Amino acid sequence: MSEVTTVATGWGLSFIVVVTYALWIVGRGKTVGRELGIGGQEELDPGSDSSMPADS
Amino acid sequence: MAQMPGTKHMTATPATRVLGAVALVAVLLMVLLGLVVSPADVVQGQAVRMLYLHVPSIWIAYGAFVLTSLSSALFLIRSRRRHDGGRHYDRLAGSAAEVGVVFTGITLATGMLWGRVTWGTYWQWDARLTTTVLLFVTYLGYLALRRLPADPMTRGRRTAVMALVSFVNVPIVHYSVDWWRTLHQKASLSVGRRPEITGEMYWTLLYSTLAVTIVASWLIVHRYRVIRLEELRDEEALEALIASRLKEDDVQA
Amino acid sequence: MLREALLIARKDLRVEWRSKVTLGHVAPLALLILVVFAFAFDANARLLELGAGGLYWVAVLFGGTLLIQRAFDVETEDGNFDAFRMSAIGAPSLFLGKSLGVFFQVVLLELVLVPGVVLLYNVRIENWVLLLAAAVGGTLAFSVCGVLWGAMAAGLRVRATLLPLLLVPVLAPVLLAGSRAFETALGVRAEAGWTWTSLMFVIAAVHTAIGLGTFGFLLEEG
Repeated sequence: MSEVTTVATGWGLSFIVVVTYALWIVGRGKTVGRELGIGGQEELDPGSDSSMPADS
Repeated sequence: MAQMPGTKHMTATPATRVLGAVALVAVLLMVLLGLVVSPADVVQGQAVRMLYLHVPSIWIAYGAFVLTSLSSALFLIRSRRRHDGGRHYDRLAGSAAEVGVVFTGITLATGMLWGRVTWGTYWQWDARLTTTVLLFVTYLGYLALRRLPADPMTRGRRTAVMALVSFVNVPIVHYSVDWWRTLHQKASLSVGRRPEITGEMYWTLLYSTLAVTIVASWLIVHRYRVIRLEELRDEEALEALIASRLKEDDVQA
Repeated sequence: MLREALLIARKDLRVEWRSKVTLGHVAPLALLILVVFAFAFDANARLLELGAGGLYWVAVLFGGTLLIQRAFDVETEDGNFDAFRMSAIGAPSLFLGKSLGVFFQVVLLELVLVPGVVLLYNVRIENWVLLLAAAVGGTLAFSVCGVLWGAMAAGLRVRATLLPLLLVPVLAPVLLAGSRAFETALGVRAEAGWTWTSLMFVIAAVHTAIGLGTFGFLLEEG
């Protein structure tokens, strides 16, 4: 593996892991929230950027 | 936790939205600095860029585990004073540990890739790597223990003791493994030694640590809130179960 | 406190004496492990001789973990844990007593393993004192850590798989130290055997202190 490929793999992997983890946390929050019945009034807008982790 | 989470985004509050935005910007800057602006190393070449993720990750992981241990200690103290007390410390311990494990994993992965380029092998039995693997598995075990069903206080106490004992064990493990490998170094070049980092690389490293800390904080806060929501749900489910049982008894009576 | 601890230890050892699990099941298994290592290393005499110190402790770890499981199974099967909680026996005494019980059972195991290693791997005991000290130190550390962590996993249905996962990273320094100390005692290498032995005693002491302080938390219910 060349140096550049290695660096790209390393950074890429790290970002994928962190972003996936963040999305999972947010997703889980929504799921459990729905089970609890909180936020049941407001409709989840599919077109909104609510899936962006940093916005939460 | 000062504010109740918002309704649409379950774990969001205005404060953490700001934190999240800051995190995004910080990461963008880190990518710029780490991958573009900062120079390649004379000896390692481009591979040095891996260290901008590798080193901050392990520092943040250490910090997270310290947080877990402190929280665990506070939980045990609080749980003595009040029967149901200190639950927030327990949640913080759990969320910090999970984030710590994620970043320890990143440390190992980036470290192995770095090693592949600089040493030629993915793995060396040097002190640092070996200790990090043990640390990783230790807290993985902690997370496994947290998953086991039990009432929150019992589980909290059990995992809190584990966190404290594990924490005390870290310097012991570090010392033993370090001494073990030092004895075996002999004539070979210091295999795991990190290169000298100066100038722009130094500042990039420092800044990256800041960026990763912000990201980790965001993760810990949100993970904490999810744990709290899950506990709320479990409690409600339990109450509903008890209520329905009582109703059955009433009907039969 | 010491008297209560001895009571508990004697109870556990009596159970062991009647069932003869250590000598009957675990010791033969550990010996088998030594044999299996020879398969793994293709009976390479040099490798086995070099590795004797470490392989010994791996076998101890394997057998010892089973013994620790058993030490807690004995309690939880009959609901004895509840009896302990309600009795006047303090948590520290329970901790010390259990550790003592496990200690003697593992010693029994090692009494079989030492001759096993000497015979099967063709090593000689150059330094009896060091060997004994290292064995005692390592076993002490193992017992204390094992009981402490065993209690964390006690009463859980998955403890058979969880306990080893929790225990091995904790015991890693003990395995390291024990292996190096034994290698010195067996003449395989000339190194700081006594330093490693002292490390094991330090680990034992640290964990005893922690165990005495935190065992109470582990027994609390609800």
